[in-house]
Amino acid sequence: MKTVIIGANGAGKSTMFYHFNGILKPKEGTVYYDGKPLEYTRDALSDLRNKVSIVVQNPDEQIFSSTVEEDVAFGPLNMSIERDEVERRIVTSLEKVGMLEYRERPTVKLSYGQRKRVALAGALACEPEVLILDEPTAGLDPQMSQEVMELVNELCLAGTTVIISTHDVDLAYTWAEEIHVLRKGKLIYSGSPEPFFANTEEVALSGLVKPHTFSINSTFESLRGRDEAPYPRTNSQLLAKLSTPDAKIGVIRMIPFDKEISEIPQVCGNIGIYGSRTRRAVRESKTRVDYYFNAIEGCCLDAMSGLDSVLVYDIELESLVRDTISVLGKFGKVPEMI
Amino acid sequence: MDGLIETKDLVYFYDGTKTPSLDSINIKITPGKKTVILGANGAGKSTLFYHFNAIAKPHSGVVLFEGEPLKYRKKALLGLRSKVAVVLQNPDDQVFESTVEDDIAYGPTNLDLPQDEVKRRVEDALFQTGLTEFRKKNTLQLSYGQRKRLALAGDLSMKPEVLIMDEPTAGLDPQMALDLMELAEQLHFNGVNIVLSTHDVDLAYAWADEIHVLRKGKLIYSGPSEGFYSDPVQVHMTGVMPPSMFTVNKNLAHMKEIPEAPYPRTETQLISKMVEVKKGSLHIIPLSEDIVSKVTDSTDISVGVFGTASRGLLVENRMKVDYLFNGFESCISDCMNGRESILVCDTDCVDLIKNKIVELKRFGTDIEYDVRS
Repeated sequence: MKTVIIGANGAGKSTMFYHFNGILKPKEGTVYYDGKPLEYTRDALSDLRNKVSIVVQNPDEQIFSSTVEEDVAFGPLNMSIERDEVERRIVTSLEKVGMLEYRERPTVKLSYGQRKRVALAGALACEPEVLILDEPTAGLDPQMSQEVMELVNELCLAGTTVIISTHDVDLAYTWAEEIHVLRKGKLIYSGSPEPFFANTEEVALSGLVKPHTFSINSTFESLRGRDEAPYPRTNSQLLAKLSTPDAKIGVIRMIPFDKEISEIPQVCGNIGIYGSRTRRAVRESKTRVDYYFNAIEGCCLDAMSGLDSVLVYDIELESLVRDTISVLGKFGKVPEMI
Repeated sequence: MDGLIETKDLVYFYDGTKTPSLDSINIKITPGKKTVILGANGAGKSTLFYHFNAIAKPHSGVVLFEGEPLKYRKKALLGLRSKVAVVLQNPDDQVFESTVEDDIAYGPTNLDLPQDEVKRRVEDALFQTGLTEFRKKNTLQLSYGQRKRLALAGDLSMKPEVLIMDEPTAGLDPQMALDLMELAEQLHFNGVNIVLSTHDVDLAYAWADEIHVLRKGKLIYSGPSEGFYSDPVQVHMTGVMPPSMFTVNKNLAHMKEIPEAPYPRTETQLISKMVEVKKGSLHIIPLSEDIVSKVTDSTDISVGVFGTASRGLLVENRMKVDYLFNGFESCISDCMNGRESILVCDTDCVDLIKNKIVELKRFGTDIEYDVRS
């Protein structure tokens, strides 16, 4: 389950996270992991933290080593992992966050966004079962936020359980399968996002607002005299729902990227890329690309407007890409993927 | 026409750096326009702001305020900073005094204003930012959002002509962010020129009449938002994404085979443009002392709020309010669904609300309204 903990500042999101990996011990009550109550002995805690990693909101609270690679190696070395394996993990996790070329840099010389990515790489290097991200996109530029969320989706696909805390309702709504809402230290809702956001009063009392896509869909459908459900979470899903049966839907030309990038057909239509390997290859080859970020959505939007497009993606993400596009079927027509 | 603030060939280097943080900037802030400086982290937004009120001095080039080049002598600076105020992104860089009211009084006291006037300005600023009940509080006990409003109050007490806000909503909850943007709109309407910086494209798009885009210390675009977002290559190179509203409108217009213009900036504008709406009506009630008796307590009629003073008073009187935040949009949305709605607003916002209703006509919705004063 893609899980989001949502609530206003001071609602208790971070405090709760600190209980999930035993940084804090409850005054009363019990925290369970995998059905077993947490133990607070040193060994048990270190074992737990290998499985449950937290990336805190402010990277400066998490980065202590003087160089990037030392910082990323810190977790795995503490787990008494062999040097070769540590090296492999440094490379893969830095590669995932797009910071490999910075591995020997002093951490103090990095920008805020870079430090945030190093903190994430440090958590990834522990290869946790559960990854907890506290406000992962706060303070990041729009493109960098997209990149982080794409990475998060890759991790989910690879089997990591990801929990995100945020007060960004649009982000939460687009991404979450399940939300838990905190208000002044109380858990007031757990479940799929729609019933919560449909409750105007509860949303307001929680210090939140309705996501844009949610409220646009409500008003549109009430005016058209149609059902609000199914609830679109993205603009392309909204468009699919509003599109007429005879509307022309564009085709998405699917190109899985394995090793070579040369074979992008220079056809008409926008070209989108998805996945960290593809992004790197495209940057190096300087191929023309229209959607560097949020490309699946870009191509889907084109299709809904009747335009053809090309989507190049990391081959191992094939099922994720196809599934994301196919969700449009719940709302209207699915673009043909060729 | 002269710009309110202008720079000519402005160049600035931070100590020990070889690439300029600001590289030959020629920017012109138009008076009376809601202005946004857009750019990724590190593009030079804050550095540019520091030049607008002479915290930083250019290495070459000039900064002009109302057509006059800035002077950097102590006395001239004091005069300038009473007219051009900057609200920094992090309130802790700006809030120094121990109590809320002392902190707000700091600026006007330094201007050598009479005590009475200082007192009056502190009252006004407390009221405008909704901090009146916290006036005696220690500034260290305030939450982040409250400190952010305090920093703003301190600037408002200077009665500036230009208010510059650096990432005003960063770190704020959605409601607090809406509250702050509504206050900015109110101030702007009442004659304060507001310039804000952000990398939040959705916020920028909803708010701005004119945007200036910075990329790696260079000014690459000045003009209406649409001109910039219509150029995907520029948008991409700037490190941002097109605003969601811009994208939805473009694709819906394409799908429905209608023109992209007029460009909706809000949800109600988008809906007006795309579907047939029903006819409800809006009752605008300007805030007054007997406001409680004027608002009909009926479950059929929704009640929304616009303006900080109204929000404070309605909460204080424990009145039933459906839309404490984003009141205008929510009430209009009810009207478009054929319902009746009441919008309680600050007295200086009535014309602002009327303007917003007129603006909706461009998108095809003619909201019936009355003002009950």
